[in-house]
Amino acid sequence: MAANIQEYDPPSSASSDSDVCDRVYEDTRVYEDTVFYHDVEEDTDSFHIVSPPQSPRPPSACGSQKSPRARRQRTTSMSKSKTTNTSAESVLRSHRRTIYTAGRPPWYNCAGEQVKPFVIGICGGSASGKTTVATKIIESLDVPWVTLFSMDSFYKALNEKQHELAILNEYNFDHPDAFDFDHLIPTLKRLIKGKKVEVPIYNFVTHSRENKTKTMYGANVIIFEGILAFYNQEVLKMLDMKVFVDTDPDVRLCRRLRRDICERGRDLEGVLKQYCTMVKPSFSHYIAPGMSHADIIVPRGGDNKVAIELIVHHVHTQLSLRGFKVREKLASSAIGQPLPSSIFLLPPTPQVQGLHTFIRDKDTSRDEFIFYSKRLIRLVIEYALSLLPFKEIVVETPQGGSYEGKRCATDKICGVSILRAGETMEQAVCDVCKDIRIGKILIQTNQATGEPELYYLRLPKEMKDYLVLVMDATVATGAAAMMAIRVLLDHDVPEQNIVLVSLLMAESGVHTIAYAFPQVRIVTSAVDPEINDKFYVLPGIGNFGDRYFGTEPAD
Amino acid sequence: MELVENKENLEIGAGDCIQLKKNILLELKTDSIEEYGPNLKLLPSNDQVRELQTILRDRNTTRSDFKFYADRLIRLVIEESLNQLPFSKCTITTPTGAQYNGLRYERGNCGVSIVRSGEAMEQGLRDCCRSIRIGKILVESDAETHEARVVYARFPEDIATRKVLLMYPIMSTGNTVIKAVNVLKEHHVLEENIILSNLFCTPFAAKAIVQTFPQMTILTSELHHVAPNHFGQKYFGTD
Repeated sequence: MAANIQEYDPPSSASSDSDVCDRVYEDTRVYEDTVFYHDVEEDTDSFHIVSPPQSPRPPSACGSQKSPRARRQRTTSMSKSKTTNTSAESVLRSHRRTIYTAGRPPWYNCAGEQVKPFVIGICGGSASGKTTVATKIIESLDVPWVTLFSMDSFYKALNEKQHELAILNEYNFDHPDAFDFDHLIPTLKRLIKGKKVEVPIYNFVTHSRENKTKTMYGANVIIFEGILAFYNQEVLKMLDMKVFVDTDPDVRLCRRLRRDICERGRDLEGVLKQYCTMVKPSFSHYIAPGMSHADIIVPRGGDNKVAIELIVHHVHTQLSLRGFKVREKLASSAIGQPLPSSIFLLPPTPQVQGLHTFIRDKDTSRDEFIFYSKRLIRLVIEYALSLLPFKEIVVETPQGGSYEGKRCATDKICGVSILRAGETMEQAVCDVCKDIRIGKILIQTNQATGEPELYYLRLPKEMKDYLVLVMDATVATGAAAMMAIRVLLDHDVPEQNIVLVSLLMAESGVHTIAYAFPQVRIVTSAVDPEINDKFYVLPGIGNFGDRYFGTEPAD
Repeated sequence: MELVENKENLEIGAGDCIQLKKNILLELKTDSIEEYGPNLKLLPSNDQVRELQTILRDRNTTRSDFKFYADRLIRLVIEESLNQLPFSKCTITTPTGAQYNGLRYERGNCGVSIVRSGEAMEQGLRDCCRSIRIGKILVESDAETHEARVVYARFPEDIATRKVLLMYPIMSTGNTVIKAVNVLKEHHVLEENIILSNLFCTPFAAKAIVQTFPQMTILTSELHHVAPNHFGQKYFGTD
């Protein structure tokens, strides 16, 4: 195998090198980090970078691309190579399939409950090909949301003296003491719980942590990779599957030599000194014993197709046991049951039906479509507001005398729209609630898996005190709405404080949400009986966002 | 209304029981709707609508809030008024290729606002029907005799063939509206083609109008014996 040495690049450049990231959104750093890392130079046959194809709900924030950040500077004074072909392409195409990697697929089962992710630990000596194995696993897994969590981010900051030693090739980067386990362990724990974590960014030039951190979210599959991945007992307990990459020491030394001398311009003497005095002894003392913990030992690293297939098969079995395939399951459940008690259907007056007729008609012009859908949205929002808590009050009238009336019992109301179609409802909610705060959530359907994925999240602070109107124009399977509700629950919003507002829902979506979140109130103006194979509601309205924003694909 | 209320109390002989009095009032309210015949319609009430009404009634409401919430209630009343317009069934094809059985509204409607407070409702109508024609009537009460008289009227030419949405938010005696409807009738508008959109109406005005124009449809959000007569002044800021 060619010197396929790919180390996980420290996060500073993880999201910046993308040249195809059509789906870069302002402030999406939280999500874009969790992507595939692969070596473009080596794997061009199996990976092609392609621009993201049209998804049924294209992002609304197109064009807000960030300018690429400068790549991390590289150093030759460290023990490990830091080849960086790490990139954050949101779409990768392997020889068989196109994989979308930017968004987060469901992290809960079809009852809306949090599901524990599957954690794979990959250990192996320096230059053994851990990242290649990780990449191949990810590629074959075909699971879009995978967090690759590297020990390298947790190198300890060096003091001045240690820094000088490092320059002289005398600092041992392969020793357990070089890593900050006290920081690593809680971070990994939180990640496994599905919580947001801040991962330090280690600067290999100054050997210190940068002020910035990288935000990572939990995932369905977490791959934890590092030379000492199996060293710590507590870390070991968190790993569901332990993979040791066992590459022949000669091969590893060859790779190091080639990389450090040919690519980094270091001298043979220095590299060998470092290898003999530190890298090799550390391997024998701390890394090789990790093999006894391994479930699978992969000889020859990434070239070992059989081993990788075995691993992938096992992970798939585990994932399906954990119930991650949400949407397919959702679409088929509970058809024909009576509607749940948590649904509030706008009374179908002639006006409401007339408005539906306008916006459902495929021949309605966009101008009219927008106008009539706005009217309908306003009615739905007004209706939704009647579900707020009210208290009875008595007011003084200008005519003298008092008047017994009602007043809303809370002023903490906020809207959260599910991009893009949900945004069309923001204006109406602002028109009826003065100064209302609006949060946004971007969820896209992954074309390859049909699953919803979370891309972007901006919510008002202190959400837990608010009554939240979640807005989406149409709800088909309910998968996106469910994800949005799950996000709110993760932000400590009480379930009974959530109201889901939409124009049109499919019956199955209503059941799904009511089943998963019985206390969430559902407000809509119509419930349609069916969903087609593209997850559109039937008879439906078509793609609401496309029709409203004028982005229908040309025929 | 006070009279009726007292009478009821006397009949029951429990004049000191406030709760009972309230109950009777409530019953009176519900009874009264039918009492006014089928053409008087109430906006379906809910807590949200009650809140809007309360804010408009409250003397401590700021003018900015007043206008904001008045516009919201107006929008709801207008939407409900439009439900009174004729429609026909139709079947359309949705973008997914499925058939949908819907309703289609007939053309040939127009709005008429009674100056000045009726004009507050024009925007609400425009927000629902973008290019609808809107006529105006100015009715003034004589300062001394309190008799209403028409000062100005301007309508679409073919108003006689149209359904007319007559807009006037507050009715305490109904005199102004009666005058206005008479003007419309002079222009050959059929009584049954007139829909009156109203926010607050006294039982007295409701009775007077129903009796005078039994064919006309009346939609209001509330029947209450006190009319919030400050509406126009507060909405336009001339108080």
